[in-house]
Amino acid sequence: MISVLAIGLVLVTSLVIGVYGVRAARSTSDFLVASRRISPNWNAMAIAGEYLSAASVLGLSGLVLKNGLGTMWYAVGFTAGYVAVVALVAGPMRRSGAYTVPDFAEYRLGAPRLRKLCGCVVLVIMLLYLVPQFKGAGVVLSLVSGTPYWVGVLLAGLVVSGSIAAGGMRSATYVQAFHYVVKLAFLAIPAIYLMVHSSPDTRTQALHPEWDTRFPERTSVEFTVGTRFTLEEPVRVTTPGGGEVELGAGEHTVAEGTEYAFPEGAAIPSPVGLPELGSERWSTPLLNVGGHPLFETWSTLLAITLGCMGLPHVIMRFHTSPTARTARRVAVGVIALLGLFYLFPTVYGLLGRVLTPQLVLLQGTDTVAVVLPAQAVPGSVGTVLTALVAAGAFGAFLSTSSGLLLALAGGLSHDLFQGSVPRLRLAVAVGACVAVLLALPAQMTDINVLVVWAFTVAASTFCPLLVLGIWWRRLTLPGAAWGLIVGAVTATGAVGWSILLPTPAGWATVLLAQPAAWTIPLAFATMIVVSRVTRPPDWAEHAVLRLHSP
Amino acid sequence: MSPRREKLTSPQTRIALARGNRPAQHLLPLPGPVDTEAARRLFRTQRRVAVRTVALLSLLLFGMSGAFAALPVLGKVRLWDVPVSWLLLTVAVYPLLFALALWHVRSAERVEDRASPRRRAAGGRER
Repeated sequence: MISVLAIGLVLVTSLVIGVYGVRAARSTSDFLVASRRISPNWNAMAIAGEYLSAASVLGLSGLVLKNGLGTMWYAVGFTAGYVAVVALVAGPMRRSGAYTVPDFAEYRLGAPRLRKLCGCVVLVIMLLYLVPQFKGAGVVLSLVSGTPYWVGVLLAGLVVSGSIAAGGMRSATYVQAFHYVVKLAFLAIPAIYLMVHSSPDTRTQALHPEWDTRFPERTSVEFTVGTRFTLEEPVRVTTPGGGEVELGAGEHTVAEGTEYAFPEGAAIPSPVGLPELGSERWSTPLLNVGGHPLFETWSTLLAITLGCMGLPHVIMRFHTSPTARTARRVAVGVIALLGLFYLFPTVYGLLGRVLTPQLVLLQGTDTVAVVLPAQAVPGSVGTVLTALVAAGAFGAFLSTSSGLLLALAGGLSHDLFQGSVPRLRLAVAVGACVAVLLALPAQMTDINVLVVWAFTVAASTFCPLLVLGIWWRRLTLPGAAWGLIVGAVTATGAVGWSILLPTPAGWATVLLAQPAAWTIPLAFATMIVVSRVTRPPDWAEHAVLRLHSP
Repeated sequence: MSPRREKLTSPQTRIALARGNRPAQHLLPLPGPVDTEAARRLFRTQRRVAVRTVALLSLLLFGMSGAFAALPVLGKVRLWDVPVSWLLLTVAVYPLLFALALWHVRSAERVEDRASPRRRAAGGRER
């Protein structure tokens, strides 16, 4: 109940800030002047607030619990992406006068058709990014209010489209900055409290994964999905009817709806395909899902670091700085804010292994940050802490998905159909509907898998377009177009195949699940080779030099 | 309350919308640089700075993950009871990334500062 209240409070405060901001800025010039008078610090906070999505607030700690410490490479990639942005695109993008990637394509290569192509890619990336946000919101809402998952997702869709329609996101900067504070405080305060108040035993166990992971108390586990798991040693579990079942060592399959109570001190069964909690593979800080840790880590790092600069809603934020210099400095500020935030998800993952290991069995690790506080600190303090995290997660969902939905709707109505404001509203509704429909079957897919998919597509399409467009004079229209098509098709197809269809064994699985290591070079190579055999127009050099003149 | 809500579009979008389906001939009017040679020099210097930063970034990310794979001892040695590899990945890497970005901004701004007076001297008039 208190969680629902906290979420409502975050929502209402965002709307109030939004509506107040809209009243303050009445005309176009008001808005522009206001946005350029905003101090770099506010601006950096707004960017960080929009960027920290459900993947960071919920997904990271869940994956640390499930897959191990290597997960934190995602966070490093999310932050390192801004170093690449500072080095390669922030300044020149601001000077180009382009607000979006399609705008930039038009400026640099002068072709309306490329604009449409870019618009299509924006749609793909934004949808892939929106689905996990809705999933996160659905999970949190259903967890705190006890409704089924689909009600949570539907509710999230309504809340977000409603708050956009009410104008709540119009004065984006202050709302987003407010959300950064909400996310940081609501994740950090419970984390610090848990660290300080957990027993010394728990703390030592959390830092020594080589000791077995065992159920900390008698734990009743209700399997909401059919699960296969292996047991190291036999265990005697209790069914709700009071009967006892002896599970021998080895592999077991349980059907959906089964309920077993594991006794205190029983070893945690590990679901098939996941690293054993606390094993060598779990505690080595490398991403290791398919058995090729270094390749997986590097490919994911490439996807996230380079994908960051290709995300349409990231690029859009740089025109709110008055000059190219400020744009670069703002991006540096964002790095500091992200680094501060990413200190905390690890805490939930490490404590979660000790206190709530059953989440791994339930395939519900994305909820660990919300479940953990109540589990660790019984009583009212735990309830309040849970409410804080839930509200923070909801803030993450709200700000990111509003930004994404607006970018998606803008892409639909401006770049593809050249519409007007009413059609922008329609596009918001359509975008929200599609994202909700896609999020419904995604309950079992990890938030971060989907987010990295979006980053991979961005890194294989817009990253080469922007990098070559800004730093290479000879990029031509056919080169850019072919590169975009090749990058979009291979990146979307490879990850889609690995999630939806059975994959061939061995290296092929890894290459399909982590395609960035080959799709990004492929997209760059296509652009370069095709550009080499075609001729750039005479004004191409001026267009490039202007991006770099102070 | 508020009078009319105006639609905000970027200059490029406005041009694209106004043009409709006619083929694009020009975009925003592009003033040629006053001194093309100086602009080219500036571009090349900035590109060098950017390449240096990206190279250092790759070295940091790939080097650190490579070290975790090559030196398992990093997971055994403990500092304040926390494995060193965990500390590096979850804490120490962020100040390094911040310092790298800060250094890049300083270098890029210094390059711009050095280019501007020279250009004014060479071209003799404002852009």
